[in-house]
Amino acid sequence: MSKQMLRQHYDVCIIGSGAGGGPVALTLAKAGYSVVVLEKGPWFTENDFYKDELACCRRSVYTPKLSEEQHVIEDSDADGNWVAEATSDSGWNFWNGNCVGGSSNFMSGFFYRLKPEDFRLRSEFGEIKGANVADWPISYDELEPYYTLVEKEVGVSGRFTGHPFAEPRSTRDFPYPPTREHPISRQIDEACRRMGLHSLPTPRAILSVNKDKRRSCEYSGFCGSYGCSSAAKGSSRAALLNRAVATDNCEIKPLCKVYKLSSDGKGNVVSADYYDVNGDRRSIKAGIFVIACQAIETCRLLLASSGEKHPQGLANNSAQVGKNLLFSAGGAGSGDFEYASMEPQAAAAMKTRGPFVNRGLQDWYFINDQKMGGRLKGGTVDFLLRHPNTMSRALSAKWDGDDLVWGRALQKKLKSAFTDSQTLRYEIFCDWLPTDNCFVSLDNTVKDKWGSPVAKVRIGYHPHDLKVGAYINERCSKVLSKMGAVNMRSNVSGSPPQNLVAGGCRFGLNPKTSVLNADCRAHEVENLYITDGSFMPTGGSVPYTWTIYANAFRVAEHIKQIIGVKTRRFD
Amino acid sequence: MNDSPGQDQAAPEKTDVSRREFLGGTGLLASLLLTYPAAALAELRRQKRKPLAADWQKIPLWQTLAQVQEVLLPAAKDAPGAADLGATNYLYLAIENTQADAEDRDFIFRGVGWLDGLTQERHKKTFLQLTATQQQQTIAVIVKSRAGRNWVSKLLNYTLEALLMDPVYGGNRNAAGWKWLQHQPGFPAPPADKTWHRLLQRRYQA
Repeated sequence: MSKQMLRQHYDVCIIGSGAGGGPVALTLAKAGYSVVVLEKGPWFTENDFYKDELACCRRSVYTPKLSEEQHVIEDSDADGNWVAEATSDSGWNFWNGNCVGGSSNFMSGFFYRLKPEDFRLRSEFGEIKGANVADWPISYDELEPYYTLVEKEVGVSGRFTGHPFAEPRSTRDFPYPPTREHPISRQIDEACRRMGLHSLPTPRAILSVNKDKRRSCEYSGFCGSYGCSSAAKGSSRAALLNRAVATDNCEIKPLCKVYKLSSDGKGNVVSADYYDVNGDRRSIKAGIFVIACQAIETCRLLLASSGEKHPQGLANNSAQVGKNLLFSAGGAGSGDFEYASMEPQAAAAMKTRGPFVNRGLQDWYFINDQKMGGRLKGGTVDFLLRHPNTMSRALSAKWDGDDLVWGRALQKKLKSAFTDSQTLRYEIFCDWLPTDNCFVSLDNTVKDKWGSPVAKVRIGYHPHDLKVGAYINERCSKVLSKMGAVNMRSNVSGSPPQNLVAGGCRFGLNPKTSVLNADCRAHEVENLYITDGSFMPTGGSVPYTWTIYANAFRVAEHIKQIIGVKTRRFD
Repeated sequence: MNDSPGQDQAAPEKTDVSRREFLGGTGLLASLLLTYPAAALAELRRQKRKPLAADWQKIPLWQTLAQVQEVLLPAAKDAPGAADLGATNYLYLAIENTQADAEDRDFIFRGVGWLDGLTQERHKKTFLQLTATQQQQTIAVIVKSRAGRNWVSKLLNYTLEALLMDPVYGGNRNAAGWKWLQHQPGFPAPPADKTWHRLLQRRYQA
């Protein structure tokens, strides 16, 4: 039995092993502190990740069965009433990857930093009626060194072009060269150039060269939603946790589902109470507790952890836990490039499988247009090819409106859907304005397989989000038209992308209006930190992962500074 | 968003439907209530979780499912049919797997009973005994009811998986589906000891 197996008390207990947990585990384990990471899912490695669409995307391998663990989603109906539906009924899966490394195993790794203005949205752009926009208690300058650290520690590949909308950098360029690019990327550049737009190479959390025990990307073409078999993808597991474990100071306990944090008479956390794989209740004691279960489950755990000093749930005496949940607003569009209209060589290039598109636009990150009422916050556009997965295409071919298509008619549709054209897509990332209609609470009726109430998520959006999304969509779709795409389609809606979630435990200076202080420590609990995306008062207009990583490294550094004072050591 | 593979999250086909719904609009319910359920139920019970029987292809229920799949995805000069792909082998392995959805399995089996009930009433024959044209017409009739459509839709899901999923799962024989649709699979491909059911067990075992 190892030294760690005997341990009854850890310096730090981290709940959740994704992008919020990994940086804390690595930083503190490297500093010599004893760390335990409790993860409810199993521990898969590169030896378990294959390009298997059935395992990836058709069966519940990386996420729980909805009959065992689910959510209740509250959406408004046509009359504006809130209607709750369990996800096991709707099939709308809100899980994003429950295993060691969390959903970072399955991300695409489109890595964008926030911009300085994102940290002071309210000061910069003013109030928006019906939205709870707030400035952050820290500035971009305070986070910048950690964005840079992530480039090195997680591995971000890219090429800095100094485009007009670039945020300040403390280093000249990315530590890893860009991943290989698809022939279509040059066509995007050319179309943008002719339109006076500034296409920029999308930084990716994917290694373009070998790093330590991780191999470079092998360009199979199946990246987003898939676990990475070369470890090129900068998941918390591949990039950080494996190294944390190698210090001998970090123990990862998979298949341990934390259901409650117990607190003492002073209101501080004393133990993480969990179910092990056999369903037996166990607990772990530590000096400092860090929650990083992704926004919705983090809020749920706090709400479920009431105690003497926390009658409404841990750190919830101001009733802020779960409030101001964020998704990513915006939309998506696509256009087809038909092989029949191309020279054979061009068609062959268009069919290339493997390299990435890696192109984004931030020309509308800030909008200054009188038609929109002056200056306002816009967003980011990212270009990508249609996902090579087959089933979503095949399943849409089996329908013609409400009628089923089968037999020869189905075969004809399948042949066309798979062999006629390449599809270029774009995704628009805008701020999801925080409102009173987007929050997490505990459901009164639906329970998980252990008998705990599941999270109920109200998913209301602010109409302003649609306005901004439509503005950008109208403009960026012209890039595809310019490139000669046909069959253009797009969609801007208030439907939340469940994989881009943050907020719910916002940080701030005022304990009445925020859950965490500027160090991401709970205002009301001396030894509790939250390091996933929950801390964000506003989300910015980019995918969240880089910011979550950076902030978790920042908080880890803070914990490292204070830990000697706050915790007893049992070495 | 974020490079997700698309709309694989449609609401699941309802399987808690009744024979009444399956046969809705066909006007045959009353007589079938008297003639069919016992046989269908007996068949179903005989098949209750008896996985990987060597002789499953000889069982009428499976022969009927194979024929329905062939109607849904017929062999043609330019396209592999369900039998070419091993689609029924895929279906058998998929729904007789202990990790599989028991509701799906029961729904598919019950549907076979309803299907044969319909053809008995209309033609005094089982589905298997019908001509190819009659079989197509029968499918065209049942998709008009909500439950019938759900049943065919569910079989189509499995049949399309047999066309497009990795051959390790017993369909897509010789990668015929991928070749037909010029699909380049990703790599590495899943080996037999890392199929989804094997990986799923890791959620429940230390």
